[in-house]
Amino acid sequence: MEINWITVSAQVVNFLILVWLLKRFLYQPVIRAMDRREQKIRNRMDDADDREQEAIHEKQNYQQKLASFEKEREDLLEETRQEARQTRSQMLEQAREETARVRNHWMREVDEEKTAFIDGLRHQSLEVVETVIRKALQDLADERLEERIAHTFIRQLHSLDEATRQAMAQSSEPATIATSFELDPGQRSALTRSIHELVGTDMTVNYTQSPELICGIELTCESQRISWNLSDYLEELTASVEKAFEPLETTEPGA
Amino acid sequence: MTITPDSIVYWQWGDFALNATIVFTWLVMALLTLGSWLVTRRLSDGPQLSRWQNLLEVLVVGIRDQIAQVSHQQPGPYLPFVGTLFLFIAVANLLNVIPGYMAPTGSLSTTTALAICVFVAVPVFGIASKGAGAYLQHYIKPTPLMLPFNIIGELSRTVALAVRLYGNIMSGTVIVAILLSLTPYFFPVVMQLLGLLTGMIQAYIFAILAMVYIASATSAHEHGSPDEHQQNTPSDQ
Repeated sequence: MEINWITVSAQVVNFLILVWLLKRFLYQPVIRAMDRREQKIRNRMDDADDREQEAIHEKQNYQQKLASFEKEREDLLEETRQEARQTRSQMLEQAREETARVRNHWMREVDEEKTAFIDGLRHQSLEVVETVIRKALQDLADERLEERIAHTFIRQLHSLDEATRQAMAQSSEPATIATSFELDPGQRSALTRSIHELVGTDMTVNYTQSPELICGIELTCESQRISWNLSDYLEELTASVEKAFEPLETTEPGA
Repeated sequence: MTITPDSIVYWQWGDFALNATIVFTWLVMALLTLGSWLVTRRLSDGPQLSRWQNLLEVLVVGIRDQIAQVSHQQPGPYLPFVGTLFLFIAVANLLNVIPGYMAPTGSLSTTTALAICVFVAVPVFGIASKGAGAYLQHYIKPTPLMLPFNIIGELSRTVALAVRLYGNIMSGTVIVAILLSLTPYFFPVVMQLLGLLTGMIQAYIFAILAMVYIASATSAHEHGSPDEHQQNTPSDQ
């Protein structure tokens, strides 16, 4: 166990050289390489973070877009549904209107036909009634009936109101008496006498024959008209027959 | 039986003797430098590493972490010195398995040289980090009365550093040599394995102690206690 001081100093130098060599060839390069790698990794991590941020951003973007597309699609669908509903109700309405129109048209036609039929029926029946009555009255008409008619007319003249009487008195035209039958002179004079009693003696009275009156007598003086005849009764009958038919006309279309 | 490689002289020139210690030191130096150079001339800074680069990085990072752990300081300035201490001693001890090789650390001259380097490095690092005045004040703390003891402590731990490494490595070699003459074949192999373990531990202890001394000189902490404590532990070896 001895110390060789020359060797010691040589070893010190050797060691210092080794320190320098290792520093030059080992520590510095290795540490630098590690630092570089760390820097690279850090850069990459930063890069990755950036990209992740970007990706998240993009993702959100796309999600928003997707959502808006979905909404748009939903809206369109809803709109289309609405339109379809509207069209359906419109078409239903149209069909209903069309049906109602056709029905109304048909009803009207039916009504018209019915009215025409009833009119025809009424006319015919009236005509028949008229013809029958006319025939019956013509068969019955004789001097006695005509006399009765004239008599009734004279009575009617006597019961005239004052206004009519005044109007007839002031008339300048002659009075005309139309009859369905031939009046004999006695009857004529009786009539003339009664008129003269009523409105004065200066009134001229003309006599004509008119078969339309069907067993009746009519006095016409300017605008005044006084009459008694079976035609009036017939018209009354016609009116009552029409009245009898009326309820049928009004109720039937509704039924 | 040769105890120290100093006594094997290959070439003599005046007082300078080219003995086995120096030659094997050069061998270790050449091995370390060449190996480092071969690996570090093609360093990759990408994710793909060569196996050797990986090994070197693990070594460097491990040493750095140890320094940071012991000194609680940035390992940068101390890495070359402490790291080289560890690598040199470790490689010099590991090569012991090669027949014919004699570890330069088994020579008291080498261990003394390393201890002197630590002895000088401690005030150098201390003054560099705190300034001369602040550093020298350590010697008169807690009272100026402690000055001689502090100086003795400084010297004795340097001697202890040198002798511990020398004793451990030399004893390993000697034990193997003795066992070879007593029980040849198998038992010396076991002892040699034990010697490898001892060599690694000694390299670690030497480097860590050097770091502790430097750290106590550079940091504002109390001077005495950490190295006293550290000094006791390796003495058990």
